[in-house]
Amino acid sequence: MKRLLFLILGIFLIMPLNSALAAGGAGPSKDMMTGKFIQVDPAARTATFIKSGATETQMVLTLPEGMAAEDLRLNKKMMVTLDSHAEGKVIKDASIMFLDMTLTKIGALLMIGLIGGLLSGFIGSGGAFVMTPAMMSLGAPGAIAVASNMCHKFPKAMIGAYKRYKYGQADIKLGLVMATTAIIGVQIGIKIQKYILKMWGNDGSNLYVSTVFVLVLVLVGAYVCYDAYKVAKGGGEAKTSKLALALMKINLPPMMEFKVAKVRISAWVTIPVGLFTGMLAATIAVGGFIGVPGMIYVVGASALVATATELIIAFIMGLWGSIQWGMAGLIDIRMSLLILAGSLIGVQLGALGTTYVKDHVIKIVMASVMLIVAVSRGALVPGYLAAVGLRSELDPQMASVLKTISDLALFAALGTAGIIISAAMVKGMVASRSEERAKLAKEGVQHG
Amino acid sequence: MTMNEFDRDMTATTFAEAGEHGTARKIMADGDNQQKKTAPAPKKSYTLPMVIFGAMSIGLYVALFRYQGWVTDTFTKGGIYTAWPILTAFVFSFIHGAFASNLLSFLGIEAKKH
Repeated sequence: MKRLLFLILGIFLIMPLNSALAAGGAGPSKDMMTGKFIQVDPAARTATFIKSGATETQMVLTLPEGMAAEDLRLNKKMMVTLDSHAEGKVIKDASIMFLDMTLTKIGALLMIGLIGGLLSGFIGSGGAFVMTPAMMSLGAPGAIAVASNMCHKFPKAMIGAYKRYKYGQADIKLGLVMATTAIIGVQIGIKIQKYILKMWGNDGSNLYVSTVFVLVLVLVGAYVCYDAYKVAKGGGEAKTSKLALALMKINLPPMMEFKVAKVRISAWVTIPVGLFTGMLAATIAVGGFIGVPGMIYVVGASALVATATELIIAFIMGLWGSIQWGMAGLIDIRMSLLILAGSLIGVQLGALGTTYVKDHVIKIVMASVMLIVAVSRGALVPGYLAAVGLRSELDPQMASVLKTISDLALFAALGTAGIIISAAMVKGMVASRSEERAKLAKEGVQHG
Repeated sequence: MTMNEFDRDMTATTFAEAGEHGTARKIMADGDNQQKKTAPAPKKSYTLPMVIFGAMSIGLYVALFRYQGWVTDTFTKGGIYTAWPILTAFVFSFIHGAFASNLLSFLGIEAKKH
């Protein structure tokens, strides 16, 4: 109970900090607005738009060159981005916000949710890298997909964190410290992103994000893979990393004690890990892939505790992100709740799965996902290189092949993780049941 | 008290009266063991909560899609209306989460007991 109060208090402490920091520009673009077109004048190339909000505002927008009057659907909620470089209110982009739900789309969202949830419950993060592209391929605009994914993430992480807390795996204090510092790190990351966007434009930004993404995921993924192999070879007993052991010896106050993680370490070590996680989360959008290895190899927590604690971080950061995206009115709650329907089952299944496996199995799943996702993003790098003029233009056929590889790799990552987790869980359950039966039989013999 | 227990207690008393205290104690102890072995472990039923939470969850999803026009319009007004999607996500996660938890237990998929 005391811990729960601590968690709620922590969240309330973080909220004002968020609003102060959010001024830096987290969340959606300021040039974006939502509302309905009520009239289009093809001759004057203008459209009357009612901007939605607590009070509705009517305005006249100008259609850009190349946009036909038919592109604007009347009386249907649309997301409009204005051209910040043009004079007056010129539309840059307009898309329909809510896709029509068909049975196929509902089925796809439920299925992706289930596997994404399973991964999340097991390795603390994951799913977002495939859910956002999946929603976009169903026809949702990018910003809506990001916002709706965020709104399903925090309730899923909350249920997952609760389950893993019950199994004695989640360290609430470590989670709160990491989440607070990660939120600050996100703001720093956004500032770097904005600087790069200003200096090298959209293609430069894409190239920077993809290069960091591939480098970080390959290096960290390969190390986690090597470590898992070493532990598996050594009989499955994981040891605290040498780096973490050395850092624990630094007695620089304030010292922090994390009881569940069984770690006593200086705040000067924990805070940079959180900041770095946030900074990378703002860059590559998968903070958990850094936060979990950071907690394992730098702070010195076990893979079991690190992945459980990551769910607390995901809950806090997801809630904060959802409020930001919700304020801009971009959450399609239908998509969020459909993914949630599958992922609430998946996350609990993944969480209980961790009670049947050893530390290195969690690391294997994590490393596999990281490396396959790196392939997916790596396939896009040649295209970005060509866009900034660092290499010759790609052959259209080649570009299409690379795009297919990229898309397939995302689903391969999800599929591989799903198979490893299910197999490890079934194996663990069968072993545990036969152990129980053997124990009962032994007791029976003793009594008989 | 069942007849078996009654018989056993009477037999033990007879032995005790006859001075065979060891035998009487053994009969009583065997009875206790037998009782422990046959007493069923208190097993929690997951069927009823699963059905109740499942029905509530289906109800919520049906309502969501029945009134999707109003929902998508109101929930995306921004500002203070942000409370709608956030609170809805919490409500759905508690009800559907409870259903999912009971469903897994009902299927016999539970965490390893340490």
